[in-house]
Amino acid sequence: MIPFDFEYYKPASMMEAVDTFRLLNTQGKAPLYFNGGTEIITMARRSHIFTEAVIDIKGIPECNTLYIQNEKLVIGASVALTQLEESNIFPLLGRASRKVADHTVRNKLTVGGNICGRITFREAVLPFLLSDSKVVLAEQTGIRNVPINQVFNKTLNLEEGEFLVQLVTDVGYSQFPFMSIKKTKQEKSAYPLISIDSLKKDGQIRFAFSGVCPFPFRSSNIEQVLNDKTIPLELRINKALSILPAPINNNIEASAEYREFVLKNTLSDIILMLGGRN
Amino acid sequence: MFYIIGKSVFRKEALDKVTGAAKYTGDYNITGLLHASIVASPYAHAEIKQILTSEAWKVPGVYAIVTGKQCPILTGSPILDRPPIALDKVRYHGEPVALIVADSEQATRKAAALIKVDYIPLDVVNSPNDAIKSNAPLIHENLKDYKLLEEVYPEPGTNIANRTKIRKGDLKKGWAKSQITIESNISFPQSDHVAMETRCSIAQIKPDGEVIIYTSTQTPFTVKRLISLYFNIEPRKVTVKTPLVGGAFGGKTSVQLEILAYIASKSVGGRAVKMLNSREEDMITSPVHIGLDAKVKLGCTTEGKITVAEITHLFDSGAYSDRGAIISRAAAVDCSGPYTIDNLWCDSLCLYTNHPNAVAFRGFGHLELTFAIERAMDILADQLNMDPLELRLKNAIIPGNTTPTQTLLNSSNIGNLPACLKRLRELIHWDEGRRIPIGNNKVRAKGVSCIWKNSNTPINASGGAILTFNHDGSINLHTGAIEIGQGTKTVLAQILAERMKMDISKIHVHMEVDTRIDPEHWKTAASRTIYLVGNAVLEAAEDAMHQLKMTASRVLNISTQDLDVSESRVFWRQDPRVGLGFESVGSQVIGRGRFVMKGLTGLDPETGKGNPGPEWTVGAQAVEVELDLKEYTYKILKAVTVIDAGKVLNPEAAKGQITGGMNLGLSFSSREYFIFNDNGIIQNPQLRTYKILHFGENPEYIVDFVETPQMDAPYGSRGIGEHGVIGMPAALASALSAAVQVPLNFMPLLPEFIWKTKGGVRSDSI
Repeated sequence: MIPFDFEYYKPASMMEAVDTFRLLNTQGKAPLYFNGGTEIITMARRSHIFTEAVIDIKGIPECNTLYIQNEKLVIGASVALTQLEESNIFPLLGRASRKVADHTVRNKLTVGGNICGRITFREAVLPFLLSDSKVVLAEQTGIRNVPINQVFNKTLNLEEGEFLVQLVTDVGYSQFPFMSIKKTKQEKSAYPLISIDSLKKDGQIRFAFSGVCPFPFRSSNIEQVLNDKTIPLELRINKALSILPAPINNNIEASAEYREFVLKNTLSDIILMLGGRN
Repeated sequence: MFYIIGKSVFRKEALDKVTGAAKYTGDYNITGLLHASIVASPYAHAEIKQILTSEAWKVPGVYAIVTGKQCPILTGSPILDRPPIALDKVRYHGEPVALIVADSEQATRKAAALIKVDYIPLDVVNSPNDAIKSNAPLIHENLKDYKLLEEVYPEPGTNIANRTKIRKGDLKKGWAKSQITIESNISFPQSDHVAMETRCSIAQIKPDGEVIIYTSTQTPFTVKRLISLYFNIEPRKVTVKTPLVGGAFGGKTSVQLEILAYIASKSVGGRAVKMLNSREEDMITSPVHIGLDAKVKLGCTTEGKITVAEITHLFDSGAYSDRGAIISRAAAVDCSGPYTIDNLWCDSLCLYTNHPNAVAFRGFGHLELTFAIERAMDILADQLNMDPLELRLKNAIIPGNTTPTQTLLNSSNIGNLPACLKRLRELIHWDEGRRIPIGNNKVRAKGVSCIWKNSNTPINASGGAILTFNHDGSINLHTGAIEIGQGTKTVLAQILAERMKMDISKIHVHMEVDTRIDPEHWKTAASRTIYLVGNAVLEAAEDAMHQLKMTASRVLNISTQDLDVSESRVFWRQDPRVGLGFESVGSQVIGRGRFVMKGLTGLDPETGKGNPGPEWTVGAQAVEVELDLKEYTYKILKAVTVIDAGKVLNPEAAKGQITGGMNLGLSFSSREYFIFNDNGIIQNPQLRTYKILHFGENPEYIVDFVETPQMDAPYGSRGIGEHGVIGMPAALASALSAAVQVPLNFMPLLPEFIWKTKGGVRSDSI
């Protein structure tokens, strides 16, 4: 049960959505864009989120696309994670989606919600970081089309009132070898100790991480080190760990020491599997 | 030949449950119902300086705000140590500090957020080992003044709520005879029951003073007795009603939410008030599963005969003793496990800590004591270089031996443990090897545990049954047994059908229990319902059949001795065609039956000598795991239980009960625990981060039975309700210890903790 009242709006177009947001914002209602609702509902129940109005973007046609056009995958922000799994339109993304929550929740949980939500793991973003995808963002002044690696830094950096409409990926990325690994404390359906997606393009392995640090990330420096076949694998991994963008998480899921242990093993497995051995 | 005993009959409530028609306490609604919620303490130990309620009162719909000062009574069983709403200080994270009654749950939650409490934090007692330190902060300064309802021995001036002593034989002699000795320490923190149905209570006080409580409980008659005692209400004026209960696992044997619901109703002039726990409240505000630190010292001969044991249990019972005091006694009573040990010393302590208070958890102290003794048995086997299953077989307790409380065993009051162990050995393919490397850094390993359990009921625990007849000759069976998902009501119908040799579909079982109508039953707990209520059903059947024969004898002019009963008819034995159906002779009949425990005694406070319960059910359990030696992650492949059920009354139901128990035990031991920070604050009071075993992660479950009848039980059946859970943690630890070749004496058995025990270094040898 949610202990506070809030208004609910369901706009039919992107412009209606941003206009609604602006209006509610000026009224001081701290509006939130609402997609699958799994996070807003569960956090509101525990008073970890407060709002006087939500704007459901699931009624916007552009948010529901799931197709290939002009060699591009166009994935709407409102597409549920189970849809991504089942469509198999981008196998890495399908596999990565399965790492989030459990099947029942993923029936509601959307790709846009996972990327823009407050829960910091945002595992659905990893394949998009790896594939140099673009994001389509809607705001008052119109639509922006930006490389995700430019606007995603720890979180998707949105302007006030702006929301994620689509993710656009070159279809070629769905053909590359990949691995998607999630390690948990014990239970399969749990927050990750570490979650790593990787993809091999032009002989180079790309890595994107969640759970390791307080935010998801892809780092070209780390990729460079891990792909450097002139140094032994173990050294490469140690070197990569020395340039992580933040200290390794130390929390109730696992200690930093154990995470590091698991991270080393997993990186080693991935590199061996994807043929990055010396 | 049995008529219906031994057949797998469907549950009476199955159709209601699978269609969603089944109703639970939370489904109950009446016009004018108000709602109540608590404000929970964010501190584990703190003085309450002041509580400001003025903002909360401004929320529309608020009817009452109650704080501890408005109901300064003490509750608890066996020790009256608990103010229902914290008074002057809070003793655990999650403890209620105020109660809000409003016309909607939403209003109560809104108001709760606006109540401002000023606390002065106090030093926290964060573990049982902290609790016994001589300089530990006292959690109950007034322990000496508390009233006691049962045999319990608190030690004022300390944090000891109860101490049970077992003194059997001669320790000196035992140690002198032993050639090999070991010592083992185990530890596990508190956890939760996680029943699917969170607790719910609705209380109402009628204008004439009658109190009606609807509640999800295993103990409606105890709720009645204690509400009457705490609030000084005549027992006849308290009625408790319990419909189906959505899982309990011991957690609903405590009287807690009912007290708050009563106070809430009283604060609004007796109007009906519903209190429904949120999952988070159910996990930490309501009682939890007890934690334990224990030390076991064993001595044995070089042949592996145990000569002596010294056992210390330090139970983490939390801020209020509740049933933890009795759990610690139960763990002392059976502390040796099912092994014959002539020289035995045990001190089992129930300790106050600044953690949530503990209540029964399936097994009632036995899962806990078993983990302690069984880990020691494995270590002893290693020391002896003896097969751990052989060591257990060699020391298995049998008729002619005595228990820790010096009860002499015979073939009725104990089952056949050697037979269980032998069957287990086959089912788990023990002889193919305990640890088998399978390549790829992986190893398969097996572990075993023996189990036994008696109950620790009051010595006069009882059950009752009433039979009434419908016009079509079908029978209504009324008992005080609660259906908590265990299928007891169906098995009671089977017992009745067997005795009356009639079609079970013509027996209607009333699922709801109403303390005003149904005959008193102690509690639906301790795996004793079939024994207590089943025996009462048998007596009620005799009583009904006697009456049926009396009536038929007058009509048929045939002596009652020449009449028999079956297939819903009373007939002339010499010519079964001559007879009368129940539809014609049943309408005036009311069958009555009761059963009370016999021969039980209290325990001698100095030696523990006494007879705690009617019988010890025994069994043997095993687990097989596949472990990755690189990362210490593992899969549980197989779990096996062989149990001496006395007589299996309903095979599928019995397997289901045992399997459910195994699942609970594996879930608990592999992942469930409360994470306390240094200030005693629970870090994972929600299912996002408190994990339970999910369907699909379960192993293959194998259950088999041995049948050694208990003479005074219905058709010889022994209690098996809890037993599946008891040895699973120890068997899992045993298997994992074998896999990593280091004793793992803790729970939960998480890969990280196994890695740490291995020294945090990579293992490169198999």
